[in-house]
Amino acid sequence: MSSRGYFGRFGGFYVPEILVTALNELEAGYERLRKDEEFKAQLNALLSTYAGRPTPLYECHRLTDVGGGARIFLKREDLAHTGSHKINNALGQALLAKHMGKGRVIAETGAGQHGVAAATACALLDLDCEVYMGEVDVHRQRLNCFRMELLGAKVNVVKSGSRTLKDAINEAMRDYASTSDHTHYLIGSVVGPHPYPVIVRDFQAVIGREAREQILAATGRLPDALVACVGGGSNSIGLFHPFVDDESVAMYGIEAGGNGIGSGKHSASVVAGTEGVLHGSRTLVLQDLDGQIAETHSVAAGLDYPAVGPEHAHLGKSGRVKYFAVTDAEALSAFRLLSETEGIIPALESAHALHFALALAKELGENRTVVINLSGRGDKDVAQVAEMEGVR
Amino acid sequence: MNRSLSAGFKVVKVFDLIDTMRMRGIKVPIVLMTYFNPVLQAGVDRFCRELSEAGGDGMLVVDLPPEESSELDKAVSSNGLDVIRLVAPSTTDDRLDFLLSKSAGFVYVVSAAGTTGAKDKLPKSAERLLARVVSRSDVPALLGFGVSEPAHVRKALSMGASGVVEGSKLISIYAESLDDRTEALRRIEQHAAAMKSACMNARAR
Repeated sequence: MSSRGYFGRFGGFYVPEILVTALNELEAGYERLRKDEEFKAQLNALLSTYAGRPTPLYECHRLTDVGGGARIFLKREDLAHTGSHKINNALGQALLAKHMGKGRVIAETGAGQHGVAAATACALLDLDCEVYMGEVDVHRQRLNCFRMELLGAKVNVVKSGSRTLKDAINEAMRDYASTSDHTHYLIGSVVGPHPYPVIVRDFQAVIGREAREQILAATGRLPDALVACVGGGSNSIGLFHPFVDDESVAMYGIEAGGNGIGSGKHSASVVAGTEGVLHGSRTLVLQDLDGQIAETHSVAAGLDYPAVGPEHAHLGKSGRVKYFAVTDAEALSAFRLLSETEGIIPALESAHALHFALALAKELGENRTVVINLSGRGDKDVAQVAEMEGVR
Repeated sequence: MNRSLSAGFKVVKVFDLIDTMRMRGIKVPIVLMTYFNPVLQAGVDRFCRELSEAGGDGMLVVDLPPEESSELDKAVSSNGLDVIRLVAPSTTDDRLDFLLSKSAGFVYVVSAAGTTGAKDKLPKSAERLLARVVSRSDVPALLGFGVSEPAHVRKALSMGASGVVEGSKLISIYAESLDDRTEALRRIEQHAAAMKSACMNARAR
């Protein structure tokens, strides 16, 4: 048996023996279903009639004026059902679970967006759903917790370790190890052991496929640059993947710079991480010299993760995608700017990409185009920003 | 794990610990159980060399299936160590043959699905898996996960195990007496002696 699921030297299958059979079955089930016409038709129907796809590609005229350079387009994943791109993967995997005969689904969540998407897909497809969420995140995102419960899911509060996303993933994996005969683990990003990084990428690649058609229709040519935020990296890989072979298209993955890379309080795994193994794959990890995982920080809970999907590690090392970090303060200024100029309140995660793209648009100059993935809407962040600014 | 890290534990200290144990005349085989990342960060070959020089005998890397362990396998064999493999109730027959063919020292038989931790009694899955392992291989089979009482030891050996692996119970005993190390060590010694004598008696039968 040889190792599988590698992107260059990143990826793989670093899991306890107790998970191997379940993951082999998942790989086999996915390989079968991804070519199955009935499965594809069901998923496409859900994406269009339920999730609201295709999402629009919107040209920001006012923001373009502010940037003073390239034309700026937003891929409006914020308009998808539940308010972010997470629904694409949640519907895909929940349908996969259903077809594989699993009656129960577990998921992890940080900000709660993936948890809400998973709970939504499970309500729709009549699957039992339990979501693991760190205690710190439960306090930060109370409303999303309640949303999940309204949708019929059970929220399991994780009190181990740093009580955030990393620990929620650990607990979900523990659950899966003892329940995989009847349970599907619905991972929310392009992380984890093979086959998850491939499955999640494939379900998110609908973003890039649509964007490619839409930008060709709007401008008659491919874009000059794509920009997306990267936590685990699912919205960005979804946008990038269908463009990887288009050499003229530059791609930028924007990580959470937190208080600045020098401060040590950030979540920029490609920019500042080193090669390691976390949550089942070999990738770039924020860690100390002993291999202990660093505490991370970002104003955006959805980017607050100490590693990145292995395909991003590969795209970064190969140079195909350039990765940069944007700080909390910069993201907050872009959060305000888009709200004021376009009437769109972006997710704080997506605001990281916006900030970088504005500078890039200026640098590129007129007659160029930049597509930004607006991965989610900012409603979930309004209370947090109000609190940070002392609004009562 | 958080407790040991915040008390200042570093991976390299384990080599000093093994070295000290050997100098004090402890001769039993010593196998390190770890995740792969600390090994990778230290350098796979360097880690194995230091373990070997300190007097260690093998490694059990819980998140490293044989498909991913070619680098470790090389370092282990050039340093005279054994790699311990795990098998689980969910392991298929084909894979069981594959894992046993890669096993040396002993094979760690995971009694039930789930993670380590003290439980009341041994699950049915343990008996079935032990039978499958013992019928296939002469590599000693050690049963772990949920083994915490002398009764478990007797049961495990009666089912064909050559021994048991215990961890969580020892840690919980230690955790109950954190302010008094002497007392903690005394209780661990008492528990280990009871487990060992259950093992010896069962073997003598």
